[in-house]
Amino acid sequence: MKYAKIACAAALLALLQGASSCELNENLGSQITDDQVRSSGLSALLQGAYNSQRDPIQGHVSVFALQEVSTDARIMPTRGPDWDDNGKWRALFNHTWDANNERVRETYTQLNGILYATTDLLRFSPTTQQAAEARFLRAWASFLVLDLYDQVLYREPGEQLSELARVRKGTVALDYIVSEINAVQASLPDAPVSRATKDAARVLLMKCYLNKGVYANRAAPTFAAADMNQVIRLADEIINSNRYSFTPNFFDNFAPNNGAIGLENIFTQANTFGNSGATRDLWKFVSHYNMRPVDGYNGPATTAAFYDLFEATDKRRGMAYDIAGGPANPGRRVNVGFLIGQQYNLITDAPLTIRSGAPLIFTKDINLSETGADLEAKGVRPIKYPVDYVSEAKGGNGCENDHVSFRLADVLLMKAEAILRGGAATSAGTYGATPLAIVNFIRTHPSRGASARTTMDLNELIDERGRELYSESWRRQDLIRFGKFLQPRKDKAASDPKYLIYPVPQTQVDINSNIIQNPGY
Amino acid sequence: MVNNWYTQYTSDKQPAATLVGRIRPARLKALAFGLLCLFLPLLGQAQTMRAISGKVVDGQSVGLPGVTILVPGTSTGTSSGADGTFQLQVPESATTLSFSFVGYAAQQVDITGKTTVSVSMKDDAQALNEIVVVGYGTARKQDLTGAVAVLGEKDFNRGTFTSPEQLLQGRVSGVQVSNNSGQPGGPSTIRIRGNSAVTGSGQPLYVVDGVPLDGRTARPGLQASTDVGAGADSNPLNFLNPDDIETFTVLKDASATAIYGSRAAFGVVLITTKKGSAGAPVLSVGASTGFSTLLRRPAYLDAGQYRQALAKYGLPTSGPTSSDKGGNVNALDEILRTGRLQNYNVAMSGGNETGRYRLSLGYLDQDGIVRKSGFKKYSANLSTNFQFLESKKLGLDVNIATSQFREELPSITTDAGYRGSLIGQALQWNPTQPLRNPDGSLYIVAGDVVNPLAAQELYNDRSRVNTVLASISPSYRFADWLQYRMLLSVNYNNGERRTSINQRLINYPGIEDQGFAAISNNELVTQQLAHTLNFNKALTTDLNLNAVLGYEYTRFANTTSNVRAFGKPGEGGIPGGFGVYGLDYTNYIQYSAAGSRLIESSTDPTYALQSFFGRAILNYKNRYVLTGTLRRDESSKFGKNQSVGYFPSFAAAWDLSQEDFFPSDKLSQLKLRAGYGLTGNQEFPAGAAQNRYNLDNDGAQSPLTARNPNLKWQADAQFNVGIDIGAFNNRLTFSADYFNKTTTDLLFPRIPGEPRPGLFPVFWDNLDGKIVNKGVEMALGTALVRTEKVDVGLNVNSTFIRNEVSGLFGPAIVTGAINGQGLSGATSQLIRNGYPINAFFLPQYNGLTDAGLSKPFGAEAYGGSPNPRTLLGLSANARYGKFSLVANMTGVFGHYIYNNTLNAVGAVGGIGAGKNIALSTFENSIKEATGNPSAASTRYLEKGDFLKMSNLTLSYAVGNLGSFVKGARVYATGQNLFVLTSYNGFDPEVNTVKLGTNKVPSVGNDYLPYPSARTFTFGVNFNL
Repeated sequence: MKYAKIACAAALLALLQGASSCELNENLGSQITDDQVRSSGLSALLQGAYNSQRDPIQGHVSVFALQEVSTDARIMPTRGPDWDDNGKWRALFNHTWDANNERVRETYTQLNGILYATTDLLRFSPTTQQAAEARFLRAWASFLVLDLYDQVLYREPGEQLSELARVRKGTVALDYIVSEINAVQASLPDAPVSRATKDAARVLLMKCYLNKGVYANRAAPTFAAADMNQVIRLADEIINSNRYSFTPNFFDNFAPNNGAIGLENIFTQANTFGNSGATRDLWKFVSHYNMRPVDGYNGPATTAAFYDLFEATDKRRGMAYDIAGGPANPGRRVNVGFLIGQQYNLITDAPLTIRSGAPLIFTKDINLSETGADLEAKGVRPIKYPVDYVSEAKGGNGCENDHVSFRLADVLLMKAEAILRGGAATSAGTYGATPLAIVNFIRTHPSRGASARTTMDLNELIDERGRELYSESWRRQDLIRFGKFLQPRKDKAASDPKYLIYPVPQTQVDINSNIIQNPGY
Repeated sequence: MVNNWYTQYTSDKQPAATLVGRIRPARLKALAFGLLCLFLPLLGQAQTMRAISGKVVDGQSVGLPGVTILVPGTSTGTSSGADGTFQLQVPESATTLSFSFVGYAAQQVDITGKTTVSVSMKDDAQALNEIVVVGYGTARKQDLTGAVAVLGEKDFNRGTFTSPEQLLQGRVSGVQVSNNSGQPGGPSTIRIRGNSAVTGSGQPLYVVDGVPLDGRTARPGLQASTDVGAGADSNPLNFLNPDDIETFTVLKDASATAIYGSRAAFGVVLITTKKGSAGAPVLSVGASTGFSTLLRRPAYLDAGQYRQALAKYGLPTSGPTSSDKGGNVNALDEILRTGRLQNYNVAMSGGNETGRYRLSLGYLDQDGIVRKSGFKKYSANLSTNFQFLESKKLGLDVNIATSQFREELPSITTDAGYRGSLIGQALQWNPTQPLRNPDGSLYIVAGDVVNPLAAQELYNDRSRVNTVLASISPSYRFADWLQYRMLLSVNYNNGERRTSINQRLINYPGIEDQGFAAISNNELVTQQLAHTLNFNKALTTDLNLNAVLGYEYTRFANTTSNVRAFGKPGEGGIPGGFGVYGLDYTNYIQYSAAGSRLIESSTDPTYALQSFFGRAILNYKNRYVLTGTLRRDESSKFGKNQSVGYFPSFAAAWDLSQEDFFPSDKLSQLKLRAGYGLTGNQEFPAGAAQNRYNLDNDGAQSPLTARNPNLKWQADAQFNVGIDIGAFNNRLTFSADYFNKTTTDLLFPRIPGEPRPGLFPVFWDNLDGKIVNKGVEMALGTALVRTEKVDVGLNVNSTFIRNEVSGLFGPAIVTGAINGQGLSGATSQLIRNGYPINAFFLPQYNGLTDAGLSKPFGAEAYGGSPNPRTLLGLSANARYGKFSLVANMTGVFGHYIYNNTLNAVGAVGGIGAGKNIALSTFENSIKEATGNPSAASTRYLEKGDFLKMSNLTLSYAVGNLGSFVKGARVYATGQNLFVLTSYNGFDPEVNTVKLGTNKVPSVGNDYLPYPSARTFTFGVNFNL
C-alpha cells in the first residue's frame, strides 16, 4: 500500500513535468546573433564598423587627447576645483603618463573596438567591397594604434577571445598595413567622403610612407627618397582627381553642414543629430561656463607659444563665422578659431563675466595648474569646429559637424614635406611644384588670408602644419617626425625618449603574454 | 454564528474534485479557479461531540487572537477569536488541547472533565518544537542542522516601513541591512555573511510563500536629459506590505540554502505572509500617523560664516564682483520639510476547518523629508487555504498579493557631475544669495550653479509600479506522511515613470525655452511551476525521515520601452518649448520637436531555469540529525558546455542535552551543528554565452558580446559549525556560528585581451580567484524577568567578519567611481589579491603647505576597507503591567567611508566659484588656497563606525473597549532617533551604490544621498 502511494505520487510528478513545456533555449529578444547578422546582408554591420570610429577618433578625450594634449597645441590645465580629474590631463601635457593612465587605456580599448568590429565582419561572407571597406578601416585603426602605441594586436577572423591576440610591432605592423591598403584599394568606392574611398586609402598610404622612418626609429628617424616619392605620387593622384578644392571659408570644412560645403575633406565621419560621435566636445570642453548661448566646461586652452605662431591676418587664427541657426552675433565677435580677450554673449553682445563676477577675459597666459582668483579665465580657447547651435538647442545629444580625418591641405603639406625630405618635385594641379609654392598657395588662399613666405624649410613647415591642422589630431605625430616632440616647453621639461610611444595599458600587459611593455614603462 | 465547526464534506458536495481535474498550467485559468474556490460555501455538520470554551491570553493578560487550538492527533480544532476566546466541539474521547501560535511556546492543556479552560501563552523566541519554514517544506526547529534564523512579528523593528526587509535590520546576526537612500521606498543593501559580490547585486534570494522573486524592480530607470546623472534604484520588495508579514526565515549557511542552488549564493530570505486561521471572522485594524524630519546634516557655512570666509580667502566682500549677495538663506532647509505619514491596515480573517481566508488591505502614504518626494502604497492581499474531499486529502492554497506603489522622486542621482544633483546644489548654494527674487519668483540665472529650489520645483518625476504576485497551490495528501504539492505562480510587475523638466530650468542643457519630457515603461514577469513531494515519517521508533523531492521551472522576462523628447526650440523671438500651460509635459509629449525625440525598446534574452532538487533530514532519537540536499539547476543563460550545475550540501547536528549522560535539568538544549555546502550565483545578463549584435540607432549593427560557451556558475562553498544552547526553560538562549564562505569561479564581465567589442567590456567569464568571508556570529536571547506584572528581556547579536580576495589573475578590478566637478576618472576602490573586497586604494594625503596647497600626495596605497568588521544588534524589551518598551539599536564598526560629498561639493574651490563650502574646510587651521585642487585622496576617507538608535517604542495595552473593540493597543515609535558616529556626512549608514562601466558595484561611497530621516509614528491597533 505504502509503495503504491509512492508510485502513484511519483507517476503524477513525472506526468505533470512532462505536461509542462520547459523551454531552455535562449532567444535574444532585441539583439541578433550570427545567423541573423549573416542573413541581413552585412551592410548594417559595416555601418556599425564605421560607427566604431566615433568613440576613439571623435571628441576630445581619446585619440585627440593623446595626439593634441601631449603637445604645445593644447593644454588641459587643472583649474582649482575643476579639471583635476585624477591628474590624467596634466600627465598628458607634461609627459608623465604611465601604463595606468585612464586616457591611455581607454583610447587603446576604443581603437581596438574598431579592430574587433572590422575583423569580426570578415568572419561572415562580405561582398568584395564590404571586405575592402572593413579592411581599410582596420588598417586605419591599426595605423593609429601603431602611431600611438607601436604594438598592434590582432586575431584572425573567427578566433575566440579566449585566445591571446598576437602582436605586430613597428615596421612589421606598418608593412602589414601598407599591404592591406594596397590589397583593397581597387575595390573601394570613389565616394562619398564619409566612406572608405580610394582617395582615403591614398592619404592613409601617404601617412604610412611619410612616417615609415619614424616607426623604424622614433628617436632619430631617417626618410628614404623612395618613400617620399610614393608620398608625392599619391598626392598627385589625389590632386589630379579634381574631387577636392579649397573652400571660400576655412571653417566651412568643419561647419555643421560641412558634409555639403566642406570641399577640402577627403575622409570624414558623417554626423547627424541623434546619430553622431562626440565632436561637440571640441567646443564644449573649451567654452567657459558662462558663455552664451552655448556654455561649456571651461577646460582646455592652447599655449601662448602656439597662439603666437599665427599672424594677425591669418583667418585660421579666428574670425566671426556665421552659422545657420546660430545667434546673431551683433558685435561680430570671434566665434571660431582662437578665442582671446573679453568674451561676449553672442545673442545680446553683453560682456560676459566669470562666476565670481569679474570680466571673462581669456588670457594668453596659462599654467598647467591654475590656482589664482582668475583661474577660470586663463588661456586662449581654440574652437575649430563651429558650434552647431541648432543641435545644441535640441538638447546637445550630438551635432551635425562631420568629423574630419583627411583633408586636401594635409595632402598638399605632406607633398611639400616629402619634397623637402628628398622626394622629386612634381607639378600637379594648380598648387605649384615647390614646397614654398605649395605652402604659399595654402597660406594666401582667400580662405586663409595669410602672407606669403619667402623661404620654406622643415622648421617653417612644421609651424605651417600646426597652423593648418591644429585640433585635427596630427600634432604629436608631426612633432615626432620633425624631432620636436620631446623638447622642453612651458610647464614641461625635456622629456625622456620613452614618451615617443605610449605604453600599452597595464591591463593588457597583465593578461596577454604576447605583449612586452614598451621600453621604459 | 458559532465558530467551532467540525466540518466534513458529504460525497455529493465535492465540486472541488472535478474542478481540480481541469487545472492546466495556464495561469489565468488557475487563478480564476482559485477565486472560485474562495466563494465555495463553507459547509459544516456536527458529530458526537462535547463543547469546550475558554480564553487565551498573552503575557500581558490581553486576549490573544489567532491561536491555533487543536485536539492532538486529529484535525479537530479552531483558533481564538479577536478577544482570545474560543469555543470548540471536541470528540468525547479528547483529553488534551494543544495551543500554538508563532512566537509563543506551544502548550498542551488537560481538558479532562472541563468545559472551560484559560490559557496564558508564554513568549518563547526559541521554542524548540516550532515548525520552521525551510526551502520547499517545513521542518521542526530541533531538526535544523544549518544556520537558520527565524524572526517573528514580535521581533520585528517597529515603526513605519515602506518595504519589509527593514523589519530585519540589526535583528539577525550575520545579516547587514543598510539603506542606500533616505528616501521612502529607497533600496537597501543586504549582505548575509559579508560581501562576496564582485558583480551583481549581492542581495539574497527572496522567497515569498514559496515563490522566489526576480530580485529586480519594474520601476523604470531615470530617463532624464543629459547631465542629470543616474537615478537610484527602486526597492524590489516595495510591493509587499510589511504588515502582512508573519515571519522571516533567514537561511544563512550553504547547508540551508543549497536547496535553492544557483540563486542562493548570497543567502535566502523566506518570507511567510499571514494566513487566516479557523474561527469566527476577526477584523484587525491598525492605524498610525506620524512625521519625519532630517536626522543629521553635514555642517556648511551659514551666511555669517560665508561673509567671514570671503574675507579670509581674500575674495571681494562687497561690490558687484563680491559673492556676498546680502541675503541669508539655508538652501538645504528650503528643499526639506517635515514629512507626514499615515498608514492604515485592515485585515479580515477567519474560516473553519476546511477553508480559511485572510484578506488585508493596506494604505501607506509617506512624505519624504525632501519636498516633492514621497511614497504611496495601496495593497490588497488575499490568502486562502482549502481542504476538499471527505478525507480532506486534497488541499488548495490560493494567494494573491496585489499592490500599487507610487513614488514621487526628487532630482537626486548617484553619480551627478558638476551640477551636483539636488542635495549638492543645496549644500553648494551661496547662503547670501536669496533663492527667490523680491517678487517671489525663483531666482534663476544661466550657468552651472543651479538654484536647488528651482531644480526641485521645476522637476517632476513620478513612477508607479503595479504588482500582482499570485499563486495557486493544489496539494494531495496520499497519507499522513506523504504529500504532493504543485505551485503555480506568476509575479507580474508593471512600472511606468514620467519625468519632465520645466523649460524654465535653464541650467540644464537643452532645457531653456524647450523643456524635456520622458515616459518609460517596464514589464517584469516571473512565472514558476514547481512540483514537490514531501515525505515525513517515523521509519522506526527512533528514526524519523523528513524528505522532499521536487521539480521547478522558472521563466523570467523583462521588457522596457521609453520615449523622450525636448520641446520645440524657440525661433526668432517666438518662444518655443512645451509652453507654460501649467500641465505636465508628459501628458502631451507629441507637442515636442519631432527631431528631438528618442525612442528605445528592448526585451531581455529568454531566461529560464529548470531544476530538480531533494532533501532528506534523518533524526535519530532526537539527538542525531543528518541533513543532505542536492539541487540540479539547468539554465538557458549559460554556455552549452556548462548549462547544468549541481549544488550539494551535508550537515549534521547532535543535541547533547538529549543524551542520558547529560544533566539536563537546567539545559533544555545543547546542540552542536556542522555543515558544508555548495551554492551558486548566476547574476549576469542573459545572452552572454552567445555572439550578440546590437541593433543600433539608425540601422547599424555592432558586436556586443563574443560568446563564451564555457560560462558556468559562480560557486560559493560554505562551511559552518554552530552551537545552540537553551537554558533555564529557554529563558536564556545562545547561538554561535563560525562560518567560512569561499567564492570561486567569480562571474565577471572580464576585459578580455584586446581587440574586443568596443561597446562595453562584456565578455562574461569565470575569473580565477576567490573571495573568502569568514567569521563568527552570535545571538544571545534572555528573558531576565518574567512575571505576571513585569517582563524584562535583552537580546544581543553580533557578527565579526573578515573578508579577503586572493588568486585573481590579471589586473586588480577597479571600482568605486568618485564623481563631481574635477573628479572624473578618479576611482577609490580595487578588488585586489590580499585585501578585502572593494578595498580603498587612494593617493595618500599629506596635509597642506603653508601656502594652502596640498603637499604632493603619497603613492596610491591601501587606505582601509569599506566592509564592516563588526555588526551589532541590541534589542531590549521591558514591560510593566500594560506598559511596554522596546528599544532596538544597530551598530556597524570597523569600516571606512569615502566622503565623496565633501570631496566634490565641500572643498575650498567652491568659494572661489561663488559657491558654499563645508565648515570643516573653512575651519582648517591652515588657510587653504581657493585654487587648491580637490583631488581624490585619503583626505576624504573617514571611519564609518556608528551606533544607531534604530527604533524605540512605548506602547500601552488598553485591552477591550466597550463590547466590540478587543485587544486595543496604542503606541508611539521613534525611528532613527540618534546616531553616534564621528562621520562627517549625512548618515554613515547610507551607501550610494555606483556601477562603473565594468558593472562592478561600489561599497561605502557616500555621494549626495537622499538624507536620512528621523521618524515618529503614533498608532493604534485593535480587533473587532
